[in-house]
Amino acid sequence: MKRLHLVTWLAAAVFVAACGSTGGGGTANTSSYSGKTIKLGAILSITGAGGVYGPQSRDGMNLAVKQINNSGGVNGAQIALTINDDASDKAQSAQVAQKLIQEEQDLALLGPTLSNSAVAVHPLAESLKTPILAVSTTGINIVPNCNAPSTVPCKYVFRDSLGEQTAIPDNIKSYAADSHPTTGVLLVAQDDKFSSDGGTIVQATVGQYNIQLLKTIKFNKAEADLSPYVTQAVQLKPDVIFITSLGNIPSKIMTEARKQGWTGQFLGGNGFNTATVSKAAGDAGKGARSASAWYLGNNFASNSDFVTAYRAEYNKDPDQFAAQGYAAIKILADAAKRANLTFSDLPGDRDKLRAAMETVNIQTPLGPFQFTSQHDVKQTVWVIAMDGSGGFTLVHQINPS
Amino acid sequence: MDQQILNAIFIGSIYALFAVGYTLVFGVLDILNLAHSAVFMLGAAVTYSLTVNHGQPFWIACILGIAVSAVMGLVIEYVCLRPLRRRKAPPIAALISTVGLALIIVAAIEQGQTGTFFSWLWVDGPNSVAFPAGTIPNPTWHVGDLTLEASKVAIIPISIALMLILGYVIRYTQVGRGLRAVAENPRAARLLGLDVDRMIALTLVISSALGGLAGILFGVALGDISPYIGRDNVEVRGLAVIVLGGMGSVPGAVIGGYLLGFIEVLALVVLGSSARGGVAFAALFLMLVLRPQGLFGAQLREKI
Repeated sequence: MKRLHLVTWLAAAVFVAACGSTGGGGTANTSSYSGKTIKLGAILSITGAGGVYGPQSRDGMNLAVKQINNSGGVNGAQIALTINDDASDKAQSAQVAQKLIQEEQDLALLGPTLSNSAVAVHPLAESLKTPILAVSTTGINIVPNCNAPSTVPCKYVFRDSLGEQTAIPDNIKSYAADSHPTTGVLLVAQDDKFSSDGGTIVQATVGQYNIQLLKTIKFNKAEADLSPYVTQAVQLKPDVIFITSLGNIPSKIMTEARKQGWTGQFLGGNGFNTATVSKAAGDAGKGARSASAWYLGNNFASNSDFVTAYRAEYNKDPDQFAAQGYAAIKILADAAKRANLTFSDLPGDRDKLRAAMETVNIQTPLGPFQFTSQHDVKQTVWVIAMDGSGGFTLVHQINPS
Repeated sequence: MDQQILNAIFIGSIYALFAVGYTLVFGVLDILNLAHSAVFMLGAAVTYSLTVNHGQPFWIACILGIAVSAVMGLVIEYVCLRPLRRRKAPPIAALISTVGLALIIVAAIEQGQTGTFFSWLWVDGPNSVAFPAGTIPNPTWHVGDLTLEASKVAIIPISIALMLILGYVIRYTQVGRGLRAVAENPRAARLLGLDVDRMIALTLVISSALGGLAGILFGVALGDISPYIGRDNVEVRGLAVIVLGGMGSVPGAVIGGYLLGFIEVLALVVLGSSARGGVAFAALFLMLVLRPQGLFGAQLREKI
């Protein structure tokens, strides 16, 4: 098997060298792109628990593909994007990834929606040497060490979504500076990587800002009734309730806590950052703060153009997940443009795309976008608060250090 | 603690109402109707859709939601159960066919989005929705440290009243006697001139109507209606409740429902949140070891 790999690689190397010599050096040979197809495959949670987020990523991606293809494609090559539902299921997510990489022969993948599924999908893409761009995963160990606990950085895994390790501490820090809370209770879904990672980050952060964590209350996502947990939290009368969970759970907790008469501050993570949650929480969520990768009201051109186009296409406002999905396609298109693809040597093209992704530097709805040396996102963080009617207001802007 | 007792009674009522329908079918047919959780969800989804998407008054939507659930009971009987019974298929076949129907119902709702075939039924796809504030009058009172919310408080008398009516029907009416006869021995019941198929269909209609109503109450009180509420939130617990109470026993399901509600909340308060699920099911396991027939398995020799 090893020998076979070696032979394949040698053949690929010879082929790449040959193409390089006829192609005329480092700049993209645009004529070879014309009429070709760049195949991309997105693995998204359109149904299941992540179904709150996946459809928005899909809509953002489809919009970007449409815009790029309508304006001449990538050096003349058209992008063909397939959206594949993983039903928020880790095993299905990995099966879909395998199919896209080996049978569909996609150049690169996007997704999956949930960190929980990324644990299965990203190591697979890494081992099959296929670039994969995470568009919504924010848990710990997504990049660079996708094979955690191994600390060998993954070469093919990138992320354009803001990690909770940046977002949650930024959010707590800014609220602590504004209001000096002294006590908090953490409500965390324990049976989901995204949520439990968020909880771990909250626990590790609060002490730095002199907030005493009175209790950590763990629950399971499929709990029928969250009232007993909320009762327990509210009876401790904390200044802040931290919620690290996803789907409809944050809004259920907020609604219940307000019904039980609690008036303190909700702080959360990425699970807050969609209009669906803000809308479901309604008045109960008003003022609930989280750090976001994106803010609807930002009026720099790369965002306002996106928002206008999205509204025209879908007749509704985009959210953070739509913006990240849209940005992901722009990032891959930019890398593909500069990668001098051959369209005949898939492993070689995947490698070239990977290398080109490392030097992406473009304007996106998220702001100016680059990857860090660890393939993570380097961007401005926007601290936002729910406005009580399904939207958000901007509280703080934190520039990348 | 007082608030927690209230929480326990409230969720216990929903478990009980759901489990009564579950156990009723088991009592008569000796079959677990695993489509019951999908009917629970369907009741809530139809009521929500009629109220919010089709602009019907809540009470009318409720009645129609229960009616649709009852009709779904007939579908379960005519599509999943009766053909298999005719062919003398083993009970496991009926179990699988009801699982199949449940998956189809959930998938149909899940596919319902604007512009799709199922949009008349549901437009929110896999998302969880709640009745918008103001659709249903739902005042909240604060009594001392207690928070009393109308929709939750109302569930308790509604559930108890329905279970009492059901108990009365089963024990003292002609229909109830028929049901008990079929449960005891279908062949003998047939020889005595009872239309056994009709009795079974009736059982499924009653069971599904109760399941649909439990779903509506759940959706209203918890503000959580999605294609997955039956499967994720009540299915396994419902099963636990009927085992706890004694398979096929209606009073057992009622007591079992409240008991599970209390065990869950007590485990949370005493042992902490991460132990809650485990403790509830450990208690169940203990019950099975000490009393395999469940709480009411032996005292009530008759089924249902």
